[in-house]
Amino acid sequence: MANPENYRAPAEINRWRTLALGVGGIASIIWAVGAYFNTEQALLSWLLGFIFWAGIGFGCIGVLLLQYLVGGAWGVVIRRILEAGTRTLPVIILLFIPLAIGIYTRSFFDWTHLPLTDHVMEQRGIYMTPWFWIVRAGIYFAIWGVMVYLLNKWSADQDLTTTTEQSRLVLEKASRFSGPTMVVYCLVVTFASVDWMLSLDAHWTSTIWGLLFAAGWALSCFCFVVAMLAVLSDKAPMDGVLGKRHFHDLGKLILALVMVWAYFNFSQFLIIWSGNIPEETGWILTRMKGGWGYIGVGLILFHFAFPFLVLLQQDFKRHSKWIAMLAIFILAIRLVDMFYLIGPSNRIVTDGLEQGAFRISWLDFVGPVAVGGIWLWWFFGELLKRPLVPARDPYFEGAIEHGRGH
Amino acid sequence: MEHKLHGIMAEFDTPTQLVDAARRARDEGYVKTDAFSPFPLHEIDEALGIKRSILPYLIFAGGITGLVSGLGLTYFVHVIDWPIIVGGRPAFSLPAFIPPMFELTILFAAFVAVFGMLFLNGLPAPYHPVFNVPRFALATREKFFLIIESADPKYDYAETRRFMESLDAQEVFDVED
Repeated sequence: MANPENYRAPAEINRWRTLALGVGGIASIIWAVGAYFNTEQALLSWLLGFIFWAGIGFGCIGVLLLQYLVGGAWGVVIRRILEAGTRTLPVIILLFIPLAIGIYTRSFFDWTHLPLTDHVMEQRGIYMTPWFWIVRAGIYFAIWGVMVYLLNKWSADQDLTTTTEQSRLVLEKASRFSGPTMVVYCLVVTFASVDWMLSLDAHWTSTIWGLLFAAGWALSCFCFVVAMLAVLSDKAPMDGVLGKRHFHDLGKLILALVMVWAYFNFSQFLIIWSGNIPEETGWILTRMKGGWGYIGVGLILFHFAFPFLVLLQQDFKRHSKWIAMLAIFILAIRLVDMFYLIGPSNRIVTDGLEQGAFRISWLDFVGPVAVGGIWLWWFFGELLKRPLVPARDPYFEGAIEHGRGH
Repeated sequence: MEHKLHGIMAEFDTPTQLVDAARRARDEGYVKTDAFSPFPLHEIDEALGIKRSILPYLIFAGGITGLVSGLGLTYFVHVIDWPIIVGGRPAFSLPAFIPPMFELTILFAAFVAVFGMLFLNGLPAPYHPVFNVPRFALATREKFFLIIESADPKYDYAETRRFMESLDAQEVFDVED
């Protein structure tokens, strides 16, 4: 079996790590200054950054479970990057703190200051109270934490095995765990995305919301991983591991998730459009007006049509640099998508703008950079801790061979 | 050997031998070649110099045709032939048309994929000369075969047969047409 120590992450990652912390730190200070003047807007911009970057981390948990469930060479070569992504959970909890404080002190979620006689508030009772909202977040983090702890522990155990039989036993344990856990994961994603994003507008509901996030976060995760792989593929040790076919396989998965995103979004739209009930259509009508309308059309074109047509081509998927550029493009569009969900729900009416009118604050640029810098700093640190590939996995050699194949 | 042959076939024990032989046949300049194996060999396309199929482009064209047909069908029915007001919406309501358009895209693309594949492979083929070699039945079990067809421009019975015998083959057969 291959020696895991030959697959340590390149030392350059240390430099990226410092850079990420520097950028994240400076942006956080700027954000704090902004928060002093406009706390609600700063919190919404922080939420934008949080849901985007933490989403990559949550997506890593889901995809890690998925690759244990279905197997395949693509899962073996990205497993350690996914694991490093899942181990960002502590910093995600840290990044959640401003939101937890904000929900108590400020009204960036409209339900925190709706009158208790409001119909939905009466119906939902204790569920829509700030303290229970925070307790629920703690439960989500705890459940995800158990998954992250166990999967990472087993993977570390696998590096210590000396025979294929031992290594196979560890893999079987992780695979058996992943089946039922995938169900739990999707349920937690549903509850979390409803709490953190859907409840921005207390009067609007969507039953496909959780799936939109399960798929969207998996898409973010795959795009992030492909970008990481493309950077690492030039350097030792990954230059000896990765092949065209790995990028081809990951490209197919990105194509599938781009289609799933469009499918879920269109399903949500079509059902509401068909029903044509005022309580439901308002949310979409706001997003079709003015500046939001342009973003909506932009999302159809650049979150679906453009990546879809590009990814249909085989040669494109096999070229690591091209697919990485597209992956970064999709990540940028994912951020726009999150902005499109948060922005119009913005209930702050301080500058005389009509409720739901198009507005973008400079803090919407600072927030994601601040959260992203800190998240990436932690991620690179985790990436350095362990070898970049599960070298003792029984399928490791086969996975390398697969990548070199035609 | 007076009557016309379909080609000359060589039998191999391992996939590696087959791929090596295919590569040598290509280097020798043979183009009307084919290889048979009990399981897919990814290297064989490259070894035989087989070009990529045009099928993906046909499927894409089929999908576009389906999309346009879907739009045409829904537009004809709801706008031209029998407009009915449903829920106060205009006759031309694109969101409602998208599901049929999507379904027809899939349907046409799938039809082109299946029937295009059959057509490009020359299927169904009720008769194929390779089955005139009795041992060829083993191609579905454990043996690997390479054939050079007599239609090949470089084909010359004596020389091609000598070439085939120079390969690492178990046995070389004449394939009756």
